[in-house]
Amino acid sequence: MENLGAIAILLAFCLSIYSVLSSVVGARKQKPLLTISGQRAVYAIWALLTTASALLVYALIVGDFRLAYVAKHSNRAMPALYKVAAWWGGMEGSLLLWAWVLSSYSALVVFTCRNKFRDMMPYVTAILMAVQCFFLVLIGFIENPFQVLAVGKGITEVPDGNGLNPLLQYWTMAIHPPTLYMGYVGFVVPFAFAIGSLITKQPGDAWIHTTRRWTIITWGFQSTGILLGAGWAYAVLGWGGYWGWDPVENASLLPWITATAFLHSVMMQEKKGMMKVWNMVLISATFFLCIFGTFLTRSGIVGSVHAFAQSPIGKYFVAFLAVGIAATVYLILDRLEYLKSEAQLESVISRESSFLFNNLILLASCFAVLWGTIFPVISEAVTGEKISVDAPFYNRVNVPIGLFLLFLTGVGPLIAWRRSSFESLKRAFLWPTVIGVMVMVGAVAGGSRHFYATVSFGLCAFVTGTIGMEFWKGSRAIAHKTSQNLIAAAVELTHRNTRRYGGYIVHMGIVLMFIGFTGAAFNKDGTHDVKVGDKFSIGRYELKIRDLLDGDNENYSWRKAAVDISVGGEQIDTLEPEQRVYKASRQPTSEVAIRRRLNEDLYLNFAGVTNDGRNLAIIQSYVFPLVTWIWVGFYVLMAGTLICLVPPKVKMQYLKTETVGYVKQNVPVS
Amino acid sequence: MSQYPSSSVAMRSFRPFLLILLAGLCLAQQSSDMLTPAIRRVGDRLACLCGSCKNTVATCQMLGCHYSAPARERIAKLQSQGMGDDAIIEDFIKREGKRALAAPPAEGFHLLSWAMPFISIAIGLWVIYLFVKRYQRPASAAAPIDRAALDRYKDEIDKDLAKLE
Amino acid sequence: MLTAAAVLIIAGAILLTFYVREKDIPATAPASPGAYLDDRKAQIYENLRDLQFEFRVGKLSDEDYQKTKLELQSELAKVLAEMDRIRGAAPKAAAAPAAPPPSPTIFVCRHCSARFERSLKFCGECGKSMTGDAV
Repeated sequence: MENLGAIAILLAFCLSIYSVLSSVVGARKQKPLLTISGQRAVYAIWALLTTASALLVYALIVGDFRLAYVAKHSNRAMPALYKVAAWWGGMEGSLLLWAWVLSSYSALVVFTCRNKFRDMMPYVTAILMAVQCFFLVLIGFIENPFQVLAVGKGITEVPDGNGLNPLLQYWTMAIHPPTLYMGYVGFVVPFAFAIGSLITKQPGDAWIHTTRRWTIITWGFQSTGILLGAGWAYAVLGWGGYWGWDPVENASLLPWITATAFLHSVMMQEKKGMMKVWNMVLISATFFLCIFGTFLTRSGIVGSVHAFAQSPIGKYFVAFLAVGIAATVYLILDRLEYLKSEAQLESVISRESSFLFNNLILLASCFAVLWGTIFPVISEAVTGEKISVDAPFYNRVNVPIGLFLLFLTGVGPLIAWRRSSFESLKRAFLWPTVIGVMVMVGAVAGGSRHFYATVSFGLCAFVTGTIGMEFWKGSRAIAHKTSQNLIAAAVELTHRNTRRYGGYIVHMGIVLMFIGFTGAAFNKDGTHDVKVGDKFSIGRYELKIRDLLDGDNENYSWRKAAVDISVGGEQIDTLEPEQRVYKASRQPTSEVAIRRRLNEDLYLNFAGVTNDGRNLAIIQSYVFPLVTWIWVGFYVLMAGTLICLVPPKVKMQYLKTETVGYVKQNVPVS
Repeated sequence: MSQYPSSSVAMRSFRPFLLILLAGLCLAQQSSDMLTPAIRRVGDRLACLCGSCKNTVATCQMLGCHYSAPARERIAKLQSQGMGDDAIIEDFIKREGKRALAAPPAEGFHLLSWAMPFISIAIGLWVIYLFVKRYQRPASAAAPIDRAALDRYKDEIDKDLAKLE
Repeated sequence: MLTAAAVLIIAGAILLTFYVREKDIPATAPASPGAYLDDRKAQIYENLRDLQFEFRVGKLSDEDYQKTKLELQSELAKVLAEMDRIRGAAPKAAAAPAAPPPSPTIFVCRHCSARFERSLKFCGECGKSMTGDAV
């Protein structure tokens, strides 16, 4: 069985090389048979990798502990869900997942575009398969998931595996890596189309129209993956943090930021044919940051809690990145003429310039995170002295940048394309500014002595005001014209231009998330050694230990506390924080108890037992104000993203009269 | 959690076998709440060096953390000896090197870590300035409008546009 | 069993990749030389529509609106002229008063007066019957 898996990967590797060569040669020499064969190879690779993945998952489920990977990441006692999740629980498997997701995407792209872009598609295929080839080298020759333990040569047969890292045995963690990978890998596709159109010098922006939805969906996956990771950290790690500026967290944030910048600046190219070079640079940067992120996660070059597996694959990544970046830079420089801007800036006060600033700030925050992530490595190389770059650094640098970005989120959409006058700006900003200032004054009056937090609340109100005004004014105009009520008019408004109003809803989601982040300025915490009957308090809550329990099952031992929560003498809830020790890995984990409310979360962690002979339970208690708004904001953001994907209700009939006589390639549906 | 066999005996102490299992995993677990505001003030400037942790000595919540817990005690001890914040920080740097600091010190080469993000913004602003200068249409020269062409197609455009609304 | 599956999968993959016949080449329609102009045109209409709406909700001053509208219209005129040039037809309005369009008959719908370059059973605009509508 392992042989079949290994052969499938090897054959997929050979076919990926073949596909690159046949596509390029076929395109150069005008041999359609060759390019078709190259596209067929994409399907074949998908079938082969699906086989390999299925075999690995099968081995994990039945517990074939002859395989090193299975022995390391699975055990008999694990629930079936986590046995499947062990597919991406380790290095080899997660690289296989990467390759499989890429092959699925590639097959999808080749299939949906089978009748389109005759001159560009071979190059798109070649780029997809070149990336595929790189990952197949890693899986096939360096980190083979089908490695068999050499039973007999000093290794006795393995009766049971180590089990998946217990920290990862949590449902959001089971789907966090694949979601993130669907994001990471998804950005390969727009990149391939961008480079393909650059190589063949396609007229117009066909690559943007074709990959627009793709980019938005991928961006949605990336956002979901990041938030799932944050939600996992919050609920599992036991200290209520959702973001720790860990190198691997940063690695997932970097391409998300550049992709966000791309989604904005690409509008300039669609609307006016400007910023073509910049968009090329952004999509390439996003792609390479995705590869870089995988590299950071997998090479362990920067110490990280996520470095579950470390191996010498780093140098392959460095080589791939170096060659890829050099080739991309050469291509862009060589084709500057093709990427020339078609239009000019009419005025400095215009939507165009607001996009310039938005891009600047997004890129600056991306750079600050990247810089903080790699600075310890640079510093050690230059000065020979180890230093730490921890949360305080990121917070100090990124909080002001983030707040400025929030400000721009409010300002940008109110400025008209091409030109705007101070007069209309004054009118547009009057009420949002008043609301923002009022909230700031209210916050200070309410006792906020935290500068950034106060500013953040004010800005959140300001941006909410601008978004509300946009919806209100638009709906009112439509309601007036069609005599609908305001709600129906708002739906109609959104339906007419789903991308814009969906985008506003995404902005609203970001605002809600900022409210949640800001709440962190008012966190409270405490740690207490307690026995049954003890009482303590945190914030407005009084806590009383009602009971302490323990027990075990075949997967883990556990113990927990039953804590009665009361406010003002009245009992409102009971929480049961629990600690587990997994038997296979002998690793303790916390099953924290959280009372989630919109205003604040009460968060209890059973942290352990004192070993001073008194055997008291150690309970860590926290109050996290507003943290729920991060997750609420995320749902709003996803809703907005989905709305962006709905085709807008626009009658495009004038197109038909013009296109009779020849076949239209792609009807733009902006 | 009720599906697991649970002992609902109210315990004064935990079962011994669990304690043995846990003893090796959790070193020196004391909740001793060492986080007075004074310790927090100093601890916020010191990195927790317990491995992959990105927190400070003040914010690391890992119980029995083999770095931050002793570090907090040390801060308390030095403070009781009357040492100032900076002196305590100096003491930590002497013992651990510069990596004891939570963020790079603003001196020498490390100044770059703080400066670069803002230098990048400055460079970005400059690039935007160049971009605007290069692409902005001079205010005096109005957009070149080809009146003849416009008139020729005006009807068609108006008709199509009316259809769109 | 396993060996058979292995052979099957490998043979299948190789066959799929290398057994390509002439008739497998999809009949990709030749890309219209003006396809990107269509995109461009659709985009400018979209911009114009957007501009009108923004003006209606009061985001623009009257002066700015007029200026931008004129610019967009003139851009559109350029694109339309370019399309006509590519299609090799004489610009409609200019040629119309002098002589009827030289090349193929134009079919006009009697219900909505949409114009088409070939005979259609039903109008592509309003969907009503167009038999015998030649002009």
